[in-house]
This record gives sequence, C-alpha cells and structure tokens, in this order.
Amino acid sequence: MIPRKLGYALSGFAWPVYALLYTPLALVAYYSLAPAPNMAGHSFHAYHVLLHDGAAFAALRLSLILALCSATSATALGTLLGYGLCRFRSRNARGVLAQLPSLIIYTPIIMPSLVFGISELIFFNFVHSVTGFLAAGLQTMLIAHITFEIPYVALTVFGRLSGLDQNLFEASHDLYADGLKSFLYLVIPVVQPAIIGGFLLGITLSIDDFTISFFTAGPGSVTLPIYIYSAIARKGISPEINALGTLMIGTIIVIALLHFFISRQRERTRQGVFPPPQQTKGAV
Amino acid sequence: MEQMNRDMHEPPLSGAGTLGAISLRGVTRVFAGAVTAVNQIDLDINPGEFFTLLGPSGCGKTTLLRMIAGFETPDAGRILISGREMQDVPAHRRAVNTVFQSYALFPHLNVEQNIGFGLRMRGVKAPERKKRVDAMMELMQIGPFATRSATQLSGGQRQRVALARALVNEPEVVLLDEPLSALDAKLRTELQIELLRMQKRLGMTFIFVTHDQHEALVMSDRIAVMSKGKIQQVGPVLDVYEKPRNAFVAEFLGLSNIFALTPSTAHKVQTVLGELDVAEPLQGASLAMIRPEKIWFYPATTARERPNMFPGVVRESIYMGAATQYRIELANAQFITGVETNNKAAERSWCPGEAVLIELKPENIMLIEP
Repeated sequence: MIPRKLGYALSGFAWPVYALLYTPLALVAYYSLAPAPNMAGHSFHAYHVLLHDGAAFAALRLSLILALCSATSATALGTLLGYGLCRFRSRNARGVLAQLPSLIIYTPIIMPSLVFGISELIFFNFVHSVTGFLAAGLQTMLIAHITFEIPYVALTVFGRLSGLDQNLFEASHDLYADGLKSFLYLVIPVVQPAIIGGFLLGITLSIDDFTISFFTAGPGSVTLPIYIYSAIARKGISPEINALGTLMIGTIIVIALLHFFISRQRERTRQGVFPPPQQTKGAV
Repeated sequence: MEQMNRDMHEPPLSGAGTLGAISLRGVTRVFAGAVTAVNQIDLDINPGEFFTLLGPSGCGKTTLLRMIAGFETPDAGRILISGREMQDVPAHRRAVNTVFQSYALFPHLNVEQNIGFGLRMRGVKAPERKKRVDAMMELMQIGPFATRSATQLSGGQRQRVALARALVNEPEVVLLDEPLSALDAKLRTELQIELLRMQKRLGMTFIFVTHDQHEALVMSDRIAVMSKGKIQQVGPVLDVYEKPRNAFVAEFLGLSNIFALTPSTAHKVQTVLGELDVAEPLQGASLAMIRPEKIWFYPATTARERPNMFPGVVRESIYMGAATQYRIELANAQFITGVETNNKAAERSWCPGEAVLIELKPENIMLIEP
C-alpha cells in the first residue's frame, strides 16, 4: 500500500510527464498553422499545399499498402509460429535447447533495426545478384516488414496460448477434434484477441518504420516516413510537414477515442445480458 | 429423461460383448529416459464397471489414465478398448471421453456449446445436437445456465458441465481424473453419490482416478491401488480394504496396526505382542495386520478366556464424532490403535489411564506381505 502523501506526490509528478509527452505534439499542430517557415500569423496554407501534394499521397498510399499486406501476412505466419512454439515443444529438451524457441522469437525484437535493415539489404542484394529475383522495391520492403513483424505477433499469440490451461488442447482432441479442427475451433477463437492485437501492432510498426524501409526500398518506393525524411532533408521542417504530423496525430486520437467508446459500449451490453461473473477459486 | 435413458442404453452391437471393456498388457511409460511413471501394468476393466485407480500423487495413475485417453503413448505394452487395439488410434478417434481435474471447459464457449463440442466435431447436425445437449443438461440439472460462459460458473456447476460434456457423446468409457478434488467437502460428498447414480443409470464404464481412499471406497466397484508405477492390488472394494495384500495397501486404505511376525506352529505366529492365533494360512506372509475398528475392548477385570486377549492401558482417546480412536499401550511397551463407534458412548467409553483388555479375533488378523 502506497502512503497517501506519497500517492499525491507521485500523481503530481505525473503532470510534468504528461506535459513532456503532449507539448511537442501541440507545438507541431501550432506550427502547422504558420503560413511559411519562421513566419508569424495563422493560415491553413500548409494544409492546402499538402492536400494538393501528389507525392505525399502516393507515399501515404504505399505506406498503407505495405502496412496492410505485411501485417496480414505476418499475422497469419506469426499465429502459426506462436501456436507451434507453444504446442509442439520437445519435452525432452534441456538447457539452451529448451530455451531455443523463445530465443528465436526474441532475437529479432531485441536486434537494433539498423542492423536488421542492413542485413536485409545485404541479403536482398545477394539474392538479386545470384538469381535476378528480388530487385529492391515494394517486394523487398514487404518481405522485410513481414519478417520483423512476425515475432511481435508470435509473441502475443504465444503469450495468450501459454497462459491457457494446457488441458484445453487435450480436451478438444478428447472430444473428437483432430489437429486441424482443434486449431480452427479452439485455438483461433481463443487467441482471437491476441491475433487482432498482433495485427494492429504490425500495422503500427510498419507505418512507423523508417530504418528498415530505408534500407530495403527501391528507387520508386517511397513510404510516408521516407517521404517526410527526404522532405526535411531538402528544405527543413516546413509547415506542410507539421500539417502532415498534425493530421496523423488527429487520426490516431480519433481512432483511440472510437476504440474507447466502442469497447465501453460492448462492456455495458455484456453486463446487461449476464450478471457480473462470480469468481470461484477452487484449489486446482 | 425417459428418452435419454433409452438413448443411453442402446442394445450392444452384434459381437460387441466387450463394449466398454479395457485391457492393459505390460503397459510402460518412461519420462525423459529416466523416470518410470508406469511400469509393466496388466489390468482388465469390465464393461459397465466403476473402476478406481487409487494411489498417492506421482504413483502413475494419471499417466495411466492419459494413456487410455490417448494423450500419452506407452513406451511398451498394449492397450485394448472394447477389444480393439489402440496402438495407432489417436485420442480424437477413441470412444472414450475425459473429465479433467481442471475441468478444461472452453473459455470461448457457453455451457451449451461446451457440452455440444464433441457432437459438433463428430458432425452431428444442429437439431439432433440440440436435442441431445438439452436432454443432458436436464439430466445434470444445468439447464438454467445454458447460455452462461464457462467462466461464470461455480466449481460444482463447472464439474457438472465437464461431466455432461463427456457423457453426451455416449462414450464406451468415461475417464475421470480427480474430478472432485477442487470442491469443498459437502459438495464433494453430494457429487460422489450423484456421479455414482449417474454411472449406474447409464451403464458406461467409469475409470476414476483419485488419491482419496475414502472417495475410492465410497464409489468404486473395484479398486486398483497403485504405488511407484506398479499396481499393488486390484480387487473389489471390500477385498482391498479387508484383505490387503501388502503393507502399502493396508496403510494407504485407512488406519492399520501392523506387526512383524515369525511363524511358530500351524495357525499360530509369534509377534512383539506375544503369540497370536490366526485363522489364515501363512503362505509366506511376514506381517500381521489388524484394522483398528476390529479391536474389541473389555473392562480390565474380564476373564481372559479366548485367545489373543491382551491387557493394556489407554494412553490417548480422540473423540471423532461417530467414533472414538484409542491408543493403547500393551504390556511390553507396544502401542496399538483401536476405534470404537460411539453408539454406546453414553454407556461406556474408555478414559486415558484406564486399564482395559483388548481382543484381536483370529479371523480379523490379516497376514500380509511387506
């Protein structure tokens, strides 16, 4: 139990943290209203320019395509990986061998994305020079993104599955479900929240990623982060870039609020149908 | 209900006289190359029998059950269910259903869907499925919870759902892995009786795993007492309790007084208590065992006119409600535990320090192996 006074002190401490988090975002929104860099006054000029900037939209489109395709593939593969790691471990494995599955999952997450990006670049160049396939472009970015998203999905699915009563899988087999049916009728529905979570995480990571995209992109494949980076490199932080940032912040806030209201609504309907769950703890 | 009964008592298929019978031959399971969980077990379980595997934790009883269910593969030996070899039959194609200790109810399904899962996986069409699930829910008195999530049930309700989920498939054999161990004492006693009635009514073979000797005695037709991966004794409840084969069985099933013996003449053995008359032939036994409730108490002044009567002093008296347990010190500093029912407590009970005469009737002395 935290003493009350300490509690007040800690909550007081929270405000500067919030300020640190949100002041920069507010500043971005504020500067997006400037007519030109370092110029006083307010206008929606930057937004006007942005909305007529074809290159920005092309970059956004590519980012979304990349995010959706990579997250979908990574979700499918990562779910299978998480399931496999949870269910098909060797019972006889000891020591490092027993830890191998989790090492395999964690390594790409821990690895700096710079290292990951460069290694992907080297790999794709190698494959391209040997086989002629996999020229740098959307396909290489897609493969790289799928690769780095898989561990995140696998980890969420693995976490959910290993938290379950392991007898559930046996119960499904006991009730006449073979491996495939058990996967479809037990595993998929039970880990569904983790799958959705992993998918959304994949989208976020993909849209957010600059480093890996940068190393694996081809000449024509410009994602939003690459576009922003090159725009800044060319002419510094312009009001248009701030406008773009503001729009992204706005979108995320809207999505977060929507999520909040929808889940609250759902919670209420559920409590209306059922009485609150009565917890019975048996000595299991 | 009537419908249900008829469904459950389908006439046996022609030539399927062994439906629900289980035979184990030399079944062995070794874990990680070192621990022998189940060691060379031979066992026959009759159709329609309530059979209990009883033993302390780690004796291999659950592993044996899991091999019958198909979750574990024996390293050696054969398992036959209803006369069919189970060597290459995976769990999902065995006509057995399991009730797990943790119940293992599917968290994403409600009660009704949980019970119907097996039928759904076997491709039973929805209307037929609903009919059977409804009948089973009525039988188990869980109808009112049909649409509740499995996570919103009490322990007793979960247990019923788990049982219903197994029984609705009309398996030849039902495997129960300590299904009552998570429940409180009162509910447990209720469900023991209920489970027993259900089994008699449906006529399925039940294999019940427990470490609770009382539960095993109450419920079983026959018991197999297990220890260290081996079966120590198999037999009807009465036999296993009254005529244990060895010291382990005697001690695991209730209280017992055990003394080392050396044979003297026919029907007489020498023990630390003195010479005992016994009714049984010796047959290589080296221990004499008598249950505490089979010890007769008399006032110290009673004449010693029969064999096996010894004077002693009550050192401890533990009142247990229905009975009182006494610890008696005999002449040569030996202790023996006796139990008397309290139906005559008002009339006569023995106090610590009181001198008594005890009698071990020859027919109540069992000669057992170590």
